[in-house]
Amino acid sequence: MTAPVRIAQLSCGSEYSGVQKEINEAAAAVNAEIFFPDISLADIERDSALFGLEARSADLKLAIARAKALVEGRIDADAVFIGTCFRCAEAAIVRNELRRYIHENSRLPVVSYSFTERTTAGTLLTRMEALTTIARRRALLAREEQVGLTLGVDSGSSTTKSIVMRDNAIVGKGWVPTTDVLKSADEAIALALGEAGVKRSELEAIGVTGYGRFLIGEHVKADLVQEELTVNSKGAVFLADRQHGPCTVIDIGGMDNKAISVQDGIPGTFTMGGICAGASGRFLEMTAKRLGVDITELGPLAMQGMGANVPMNSYCIVFGTQSLVNALSSGCSPQDVAAAACHSVAEQVFEQQLQEIDIKEPVIMVGGTSLIEGLVYAMGTLLQTEILVPRYSQFIGAVGSSLLASGFIKGE
Amino acid sequence: MTEYTPEHIGTVTKYVFVESPTLTAGELALRAYEVSRGAMIKETCFGLQVSGEPEEVERIIAHVRSFDPCHIFVKDRAFPPGDPRRCRANLGGARPGFHGLEYEFRHLRNVSAGLEELERREEGKLEEEEREPVCIPERPRLGIRRLIELMEAEES
Amino acid sequence: MAKVFIYPTTSLILSDMVARFGHEPLGSPLGIRERIQTAGIDSPPLQITPEEPKKGLRYAAVEVPSGVRGRMAVIGPLIEHAEAAIIINDADLAFGCMGCARTNELVKYLVRRRKIPILELMYPKTEEEGIAFVAAIRRFLQELGGEKR
Repeated sequence: MTAPVRIAQLSCGSEYSGVQKEINEAAAAVNAEIFFPDISLADIERDSALFGLEARSADLKLAIARAKALVEGRIDADAVFIGTCFRCAEAAIVRNELRRYIHENSRLPVVSYSFTERTTAGTLLTRMEALTTIARRRALLAREEQVGLTLGVDSGSSTTKSIVMRDNAIVGKGWVPTTDVLKSADEAIALALGEAGVKRSELEAIGVTGYGRFLIGEHVKADLVQEELTVNSKGAVFLADRQHGPCTVIDIGGMDNKAISVQDGIPGTFTMGGICAGASGRFLEMTAKRLGVDITELGPLAMQGMGANVPMNSYCIVFGTQSLVNALSSGCSPQDVAAAACHSVAEQVFEQQLQEIDIKEPVIMVGGTSLIEGLVYAMGTLLQTEILVPRYSQFIGAVGSSLLASGFIKGE
Repeated sequence: MTEYTPEHIGTVTKYVFVESPTLTAGELALRAYEVSRGAMIKETCFGLQVSGEPEEVERIIAHVRSFDPCHIFVKDRAFPPGDPRRCRANLGGARPGFHGLEYEFRHLRNVSAGLEELERREEGKLEEEEREPVCIPERPRLGIRRLIELMEAEES
Repeated sequence: MAKVFIYPTTSLILSDMVARFGHEPLGSPLGIRERIQTAGIDSPPLQITPEEPKKGLRYAAVEVPSGVRGRMAVIGPLIEHAEAAIIINDADLAFGCMGCARTNELVKYLVRRRKIPILELMYPKTEEEGIAFVAAIRRFLQELGGEKR
């Protein structure tokens, strides 16, 4: 067994929220261990003052000083986890500034999270897995070209996607709604293999990602089972041909959203989550249903409307739906409602998540929702940039898995 | 969810800090060992940890305190000595409370001075001199009347 | 013997002074000790489970961060049991149980609201201040009926 990845924890409140055990368990599940950088009181006094952010809470001063010790190389770590209480303004400022400081001044992968007493190891698992992957598998993540014949599967909460690649080109695709996780995966794989005209036995390597990755990974005997943060980053830079330099990847998913700040195809900082389904693709699905159109028609419809004409705030899916019903019953056009729904989702992601990472151009939108042009337009307006949506963007996880899996071909 | 079964129920643990020119942690530990009847004594860099039944711990503490009362300080500790949940070796760094003790340690010299002085006074070596504490929290606020007086004085 | 709440709740100096002059110091180690000596659901390191921030709702509303409420679940009952209190007001470098400034503001307020005898001080920065510091604490504790040990 390889040595555990050492994750330095910078935090305030985790022990008193009853979630320290959850943090430790999430780390242990991906063969990592949490540790607290050892510094002295003199370090705390000096370094929290030098950092220049006057936090009043002593535990935040401690976190600041520990961050400096990590960045200056006085203490070794493979990755950093920053965690503070949700709803604490002081801690939110410190958390964001430390994340930015570490990201800009070191090569340490860092993830920040604001917890409540309800935070579980399950919630933290994907984040920890991404942290350890970045720390442990830099060589694997450096892969820019797909070789041989490989399959990638992305088992999402709404849909299951599958991609067959041969010699750096996509040759087969499969896309089915997720019902039974294994059955949906088998169907998506069969579709992709059929389109590519290859047999399962010919595949040289398989990679899987997404919520169902562990189950499917075992089922198909995958060579690579990997969380979607690193996989999607790779997939995005590959498809958008932005393998070098910075970029930002936004994936508004069916259940949660990912915003990833990427450098040379490797995630630096990322956030994952979303307060409510109102800020996810699920709300757009509901909007389409209520408007009586297919989800694929929602985007073009939104492009014809004016979102500003309809008051809508989908912070919560229940209230968002209420606004939707109210707007329609007061005579608003379906075009305006569609545009308002797209704007609302984009705004939620912008307000809740994009503040936590550094947006660097180009911004690449991926995942099924990136096909809803009204949403892409709304996000571009909010970020004041032109957003890149690469071809096959809805297959991002499957493409990333297929690409990374080729690192496992024998002799590779 | 794992069930938790506590150990050492009903015991107490105390830190004994020694900040003395005449007594080392090692010497203090030896004296504690001499009188201990089953309590756990653990020598540390700053003094001792004594853990066991409350009465026994009290007895040992009273005994060791007597060797240099003005330079020995005692406080409660939640965990028994060496508990892996708080051990530096397991956490990578000191538990946060340690830095708080480090901070208070700086002031112990002045507290010791205070204790010695009061002891001298009690022994009648010095005049009893009741003083108001000079370190009360804030200076009394300026009364509004006095402020007006000052402003008027300034203007005239 | 009176139960004297100490602030910082982790203070070595106050814990010692209170016990030395014949009273019982109420500090956070007592609260944590009670938790680690009680059977329940495993939640290392402090045996503060996610249920504790809910208990903290007694002292702070639900919109208050979980870390504040969890700390209050430990410290709040100590304040309620206190018959007197000593507060050091420049305790800016106390960590862990005392590591959150918002909790500390609430703790001091709740102590002051209790209308029990309270002594408020600053850390002694010189020997002179040390003498005044110890004298003030001793006088305060003697007035509570304690005896020197």
